[in-house]
Amino acid sequence: MDPLERLLNLVGLLLESDRPMTFEQIRETLDAYGGDNLESAKRKFERDKDILREYGVPLVMVDTDVWGVEQGYTIPREEYYLAEIAFSPDEITALYLAAQSGTEETAAEQGVRKLLYGSDGGVLLGSAGGPLAAGSDTRSDRVLAAADAADTHRRVGFGYRTSQGARSVRDVDAYGVVFRGGHWYLVGHDRERGEIRAFRLSRCTSELRDAGEGSVPPEGFRAADHVEAGPWVPRGDERAVVAFTPAAAVRAMASFSGAVTERVADDGRSVVSFPSADEAAVASLLLEYGPEAEVLEPEGLRDEIVRRLEAADA
Amino acid sequence: MPERRRSATTAERLGRMLVIVPYLVQHPGTTLDEASALFGVEQARLRKDLDLLFMSGLPPYGPGDLIDVEVDEDGAVTIRMADHFSRPLRLTRQEALAVHVRATELLATPGLPEAPALERAIEKLTASLGGSAAIEAARVGDAPPLLDELRDAVEARRRIRIDYAAASSGERAWRTIEPEALFASAGHWYLPAWDVDADAERVYRADRVAGIESTDMTFEPRGLQGAGRPLYTRSESDVEVRLLLRPPARWVAEYYVTTDVVERDDGSVEATLPSRQLGWVARLMLRLGSDAQVLQPVSLLDEVRSLVRQTRAIYGS
Repeated sequence: MDPLERLLNLVGLLLESDRPMTFEQIRETLDAYGGDNLESAKRKFERDKDILREYGVPLVMVDTDVWGVEQGYTIPREEYYLAEIAFSPDEITALYLAAQSGTEETAAEQGVRKLLYGSDGGVLLGSAGGPLAAGSDTRSDRVLAAADAADTHRRVGFGYRTSQGARSVRDVDAYGVVFRGGHWYLVGHDRERGEIRAFRLSRCTSELRDAGEGSVPPEGFRAADHVEAGPWVPRGDERAVVAFTPAAAVRAMASFSGAVTERVADDGRSVVSFPSADEAAVASLLLEYGPEAEVLEPEGLRDEIVRRLEAADA
Repeated sequence: MPERRRSATTAERLGRMLVIVPYLVQHPGTTLDEASALFGVEQARLRKDLDLLFMSGLPPYGPGDLIDVEVDEDGAVTIRMADHFSRPLRLTRQEALAVHVRATELLATPGLPEAPALERAIEKLTASLGGSAAIEAARVGDAPPLLDELRDAVEARRRIRIDYAAASSGERAWRTIEPEALFASAGHWYLPAWDVDADAERVYRADRVAGIESTDMTFEPRGLQGAGRPLYTRSESDVEVRLLLRPPARWVAEYYVTTDVVERDDGSVEATLPSRQLGWVARLMLRLGSDAQVLQPVSLLDEVRSLVRQTRAIYGS
């Protein structure tokens, strides 16, 4: 007999039965656990229980009488069945597309498949050619471990390497995870440093190790607030004005958030302005354009670029 | 341990059945073809497992107690007498978290047309399953200005001309392309297309398209790979650029495809950056300044030096 048949029968039996069933009763009803060899039938049943639990089937053992003399198995229906969730067609389509995105198979696919039963699969298949995103730089099991820890307010320990290469072991109360610019971050209370820090998960040098109960995030906590913003994100009023060649202007408009084309100069260059609070960082970014960019304002930024060029030429 | 291996596949098959059967019960007449595509299972396998379902049912196995599975000559499936399998098993916590995580990766992409629907779906899922408020998406940047026009061209399979600014060569030119797909990765939108002029496959970044001209020609897709493809493929003609990256420049080894990364005691790393062209690497070196050093090739040093001179000339310094 195919073990799948046995398992389907077992699930069906326990779902239908109004009372918990002892192993003896199950054995009497399902031939698959019958036969003379009780020990081997028991072993088979134990293995099957593990398989069911592995797939999230809530198989539980309860007392069959008030004295607790005898115990039986049951699958509580309210724990087994997925609650009715009314998704509109565009919502389920979006979930379906999301689950199929990424470069590795995850539990998300299995999860969304469970949600499909109330939807029109034909519509979904028709939409499957649509746009998808291709995941992140971090293995999904690590992201899930971090999300899980944050969700349940756990404390985690892990090895970490900063962007500058400094290695350390961190002890963090997980508060939240945030996805930003293609990276996942764990944000939490760094116990040793006594403050909230963000950790890029791709820079962890070990798996996250559960270290017991953590703490509850402060009122109004948002993980995204703690992930460092790039120098090109608007902060303050200062704007840089830069002349770009036509080719460079296209790239600059895409790179500098809040960039505006002010005018096209007589020499064909586009004059673009964008918020720039951090002069040193903006100077670095602009140097990557080489002779295709010229800072017109502010004076300080122009001087900084010239200073770096002279240093490079020395 | 063969027994163990077999039980693993049995578990997978069981998990699948507990999900597919409710769908088939709810949608009588679904074809094997459709079900196999929706649930990612081979048709022959699905057929076999459905046959097993036919044999299962509730004791005492009277004729009216067996689950009835019917597959007609068109492959349309009808399942009866399976009330206990008419609704699927609920999502495990891991599955619900995984769906949320995946959706969040999509939501962080600016310009995603499905974003509002996806947000609503996640809200419903969270409300129903007690999912997580600890997962956030931070959307950075704006959608590429011509994203919608590009999407239209992909959907209509229309040949277009684009005004494109390539970052690798620094050139900006009009190209005639046949765009086959549009997908987001790490916050950027990409357009795999056939470049008609070059007669070759190219992947364009949507935010570097400065203009679009439509043509009245449509095309037959060649099946170019969309989402999930590597964004950089190495080739034989790549130059192996070897760099020394001091701590403030270490991000380069994370951001670009690098090989042979060797860590030094002072926190610097040496890394090899395979690249088709040297122009963009020279510009990158200008940006990194004293935080990085070219170890090889020597020709790159000359290129950086000439770039410095040209840039100084712009500033009249």
